[in-house]
Amino acid sequence: MQQEVTRLLPGPLLAIILAVLCAVVLIPIFYIFLASVNTDIGVAGGEFWPSSFSLENYTKIWSSVGLAKGLANSVLVAGATAVVSAAMSVSTAYVLVRYQFLGRLTILRGLLALQSVPGTLMVLPVFVLFSSAASYLGVQVIGTQWGLFITYLTFAMPFSTWVMVTYLRGLPRELEEAARIDGASNLGVLTRIILPLSWPGIVVSGIFAFLLGWNDVLFASVMTRPDSQTAAVALQIFGASQEGGAIPMYGQMMAASLVCAAPVVILYLIFQRYLVGGLTAGGVK
Amino acid sequence: MRFAPSAKFAAVAVAAGLALTACAGGSGSSGGSPDGAGKKLSVLTGVNNHYPEEQKEWFKDIAAKFKAQTGADIEFETFASANDELTRIQTSVVSGQGPDVYSLGTTFTPTAYATKAFVTLSDEDWKKVGGKERFNPAALGISGPDSEHMAGIPFVSRPFVMAYNKDLLAAAGIQKPATTWDELAVQARKLTNASKGTYGLATGYKDNYDPWKFIWAMSVQAGNPLVDGDKLKMDDPAVKKAYETYFGWLTKDKVVDPAAIGWSNSNAVAAFASGKAGYLMMTTSSSVPTLEKSAVAGKYAYATMPTVAPGESASKGDGAKAASILSGDNLVVADYSQQKDLAFAYVKLITSKDEQLNYQKIFGELPANAEALAALTNPVLQPIAEAAGKSKATPFTGAWGDIQLGLVNVTVQSIPDLAKGSVDGAALDSRLKEAQSKGQASLDRASKS
Amino acid sequence: MSTDSFRDTRAATIPAPDRQLTRSGSAADDGGVPANAGTAAARGAAPSGKPSKPRKSGRRRNISERNRPLWMLIPGGMLMLVIIVVPLVLGTYMSALNLDQYTLRKWISAPFIGVENFVEALTSSPLLHSVWLSVSYSLIATVVTVPLGIAAAVATQNPFKGRALVRSVFLIPYVLPSFVVATIWRTMFQPDGVVDSALGTVGIDSGLWLNGPQTYWTLILVQIWASWPFIYLLALSGLQSVDHEVHEASALDGALWWNKLRYVIFPYLKGPLSLAFLIGMLHHINNFTLPFVLFGVPAPADVEVLPILTYVTSFQSFRFGLSAAMAFVSLVLIAIPLFIYLRAVRLDDAETPGGKK
Repeated sequence: MQQEVTRLLPGPLLAIILAVLCAVVLIPIFYIFLASVNTDIGVAGGEFWPSSFSLENYTKIWSSVGLAKGLANSVLVAGATAVVSAAMSVSTAYVLVRYQFLGRLTILRGLLALQSVPGTLMVLPVFVLFSSAASYLGVQVIGTQWGLFITYLTFAMPFSTWVMVTYLRGLPRELEEAARIDGASNLGVLTRIILPLSWPGIVVSGIFAFLLGWNDVLFASVMTRPDSQTAAVALQIFGASQEGGAIPMYGQMMAASLVCAAPVVILYLIFQRYLVGGLTAGGVK
Repeated sequence: MRFAPSAKFAAVAVAAGLALTACAGGSGSSGGSPDGAGKKLSVLTGVNNHYPEEQKEWFKDIAAKFKAQTGADIEFETFASANDELTRIQTSVVSGQGPDVYSLGTTFTPTAYATKAFVTLSDEDWKKVGGKERFNPAALGISGPDSEHMAGIPFVSRPFVMAYNKDLLAAAGIQKPATTWDELAVQARKLTNASKGTYGLATGYKDNYDPWKFIWAMSVQAGNPLVDGDKLKMDDPAVKKAYETYFGWLTKDKVVDPAAIGWSNSNAVAAFASGKAGYLMMTTSSSVPTLEKSAVAGKYAYATMPTVAPGESASKGDGAKAASILSGDNLVVADYSQQKDLAFAYVKLITSKDEQLNYQKIFGELPANAEALAALTNPVLQPIAEAAGKSKATPFTGAWGDIQLGLVNVTVQSIPDLAKGSVDGAALDSRLKEAQSKGQASLDRASKS
Repeated sequence: MSTDSFRDTRAATIPAPDRQLTRSGSAADDGGVPANAGTAAARGAAPSGKPSKPRKSGRRRNISERNRPLWMLIPGGMLMLVIIVVPLVLGTYMSALNLDQYTLRKWISAPFIGVENFVEALTSSPLLHSVWLSVSYSLIATVVTVPLGIAAAVATQNPFKGRALVRSVFLIPYVLPSFVVATIWRTMFQPDGVVDSALGTVGIDSGLWLNGPQTYWTLILVQIWASWPFIYLLALSGLQSVDHEVHEASALDGALWWNKLRYVIFPYLKGPLSLAFLIGMLHHINNFTLPFVLFGVPAPADVEVLPILTYVTSFQSFRFGLSAAMAFVSLVLIAIPLFIYLRAVRLDDAETPGGKK
């Protein structure tokens, strides 16, 4: 009965929609799996079902694409970005939500606006800035993971903070007030009351920061060197280098694509519930 | 967080900083092997997709030899594509930091030279790399605007040739590969059997680099070197004729697989490797490893490409020497480098006769070292070595990159027409006109600076 | 009777987003009167629903004012300043310089040429064409994703066996990194690749996907594939805000499923979907990775969208000044949907007083 009341679509239509959408999503994904165990000639010739299967591509990519180092760097940079950005966004959002001050709304508006600044506009000036750090301060930024980390952190902050702002708004104030009456300081309230209550929001904002770092190609391609390359750049370079050769190594490309996508997909699936909530609350990608 | 305010300060001071780094590079002593103990030389070079393992071995080997000679270490970095290569040059130029030595494709040498961020070698400098006379004179053709101002030190030559399928040619009753473009078209028609999926020529119209090389070659052979002083001559009838010939293979002669509209060079190699094409156009010795492992192994040979322009009976101007663009790798030393002597020592090492021969043995690339080139006797490489002698440098101007882009773009924009089966003359004219005006604007900027 | 209750639901729902737009305008000003009721409805959250919490009184705010830990904003603020604001200013400055391969090395002393780059960008470069491409492609892709997203959300609204799995599947395109999406579609769209051979078996000669005019549709197709789940997510959140009573009311009503969707459910989606629409537009206009990896550079003229044009102009042709001018133009273009977005979104909630510092 309950079910009947909220039902929105007639059964057959529902089945059709679900089937079509699942097919649209799954067929390409399934094909990529097949292509990753196919031969390059098979892929180039348009085979859907491989004429021969081999897991060889998955062993080759570790040396040909340099995926191991790329993944390690990606995990390091994106992971650090996630942790620091989550921590910073909690405190920033806390101030923005709980206190009144001049310019507060400007900051809130800025958080949204900054998410739309095109990366192609930023990449050259940011690079110039970082390279001058070496000439002046003796701080080598370009080519290290630090440069990427700082950049990703900055670009992740507006969204992470916005997610936290929407999350913290939903928290009741009563606990904080009680703690204050007990004489807790601002920092004390933040660490002892807010932090434990807002884990779901923190996870969401951290994961989005992680994804930003994991997915970026533009900045990573100019700010890294072979030692600090992220997985995205390693894959992009591998793809680009296939252009000049004979038959592109499609199989390895597909295998590497899947390996690069795997951590992100797994992360999403694990935290799916939080993420969907956080995303729609933040209302932004 | 301390980093942040300091970096902000640095932004304000960037101007002075770049000027400083620019000046700092000029010093350096000469003579003998420099003492590089405790130092590290950074070298940027293109990644070798055909021999990745061998390349890593070669890096180790050279690093060890260099260490023995100078006491310094080498750190090799690789770039994967032309795009990557450009980005790396730009970033180093802007920041005044980066690798000490770059190994660049020859066509990028003018661009690199234009930035003035790389060392123009003095007589003194040439001595440090073993003397200008150690190099094949032809290979120096794209090292600088004139013989007094050279930044590029030749490392390897990679002339373009065509490969042909000996069996298919014999079956079609063709004695020897064509030497004029007209003859090539005739032969290609004989070789084509569309019902069996066999075509006369294999070439990729979607390739990012090949198309302009055809146009350039045919145009030069017709007596138009494209750039004449400050003037771009892309609106010349010879250029149009070149495009018409190049497109005509597909639309009129029908000697190219129609799918080639979407091919890059690699697809063309694959088609030839499967035995479905008489000729593989615009290839280098780098196709050897693929072909050796393919269905045509042992059945193919290389030949220089035609040197007589379409519709002509003999080549004009420098045409006979334009079987290929002058192609290969040049080494350039960064002007900001703090260890130029080490950089020159490295260049000297890898351009020595022994190392050049060794490199040829491993990677199949032709030496730029004159003695090493003369020492090559392998008959298979003969046509390629011949093409190296018949290579002509593209015009040495910082605008060349744009002109090249314009030439490719005409092809890119004509692809829809190609797919429909014919390229409209008026449309081609307007594309050429646009490329001409853009390229000319770029040349104007080049001559102003 | 039944018609009345039906109309009531509608009346309660429809004005909500409108109110939100006007009210947030007043809340947007520092020192404005706190928007109490209206903003609660932002993003179409339960229009009929939650009463806004009564505002607490003076005591708490006094604490707030006495001891505000504003220093906590400093780290983030510094980052924004150094990594975003300063480069933005630098970029704007560059757009007034004649910056190319000849002057790049000492870029700060490159000749200052004022608005010449802008003039060149607008009169003798493909910029306007790119603007048209970017806007039309973003619009088409966004418009197509909306019904897809709604259909998916509506279809997964009611529980059924395996719903969790289906929901996860729907998220996959959204989850995949752009560079992976582009790599795999590029492979599938190769001439003679799997797409061509699949279409070939049903007798369709599809032509070229990665060259020529069709590239425009290839880009749109892949973009749709990658971004419809975003619309789906926001539509889902809208659906979840529909109260059970509303369902019951329309069930009593005996409304047909289509009418129920049309008149009862969709109004709830208006808010989240307008938001999704704007964000989708912004995202598509800014998308660099997808066309870059799908087509490479130089891209066919039919997909030379703004980010690609900007990139090619600087990193291929070395015209950094011109490119900065182009980037500036795209910033202006982005400012339009961004402005609407900022007006529409709830900056503040009813609970936190917007003014009275």
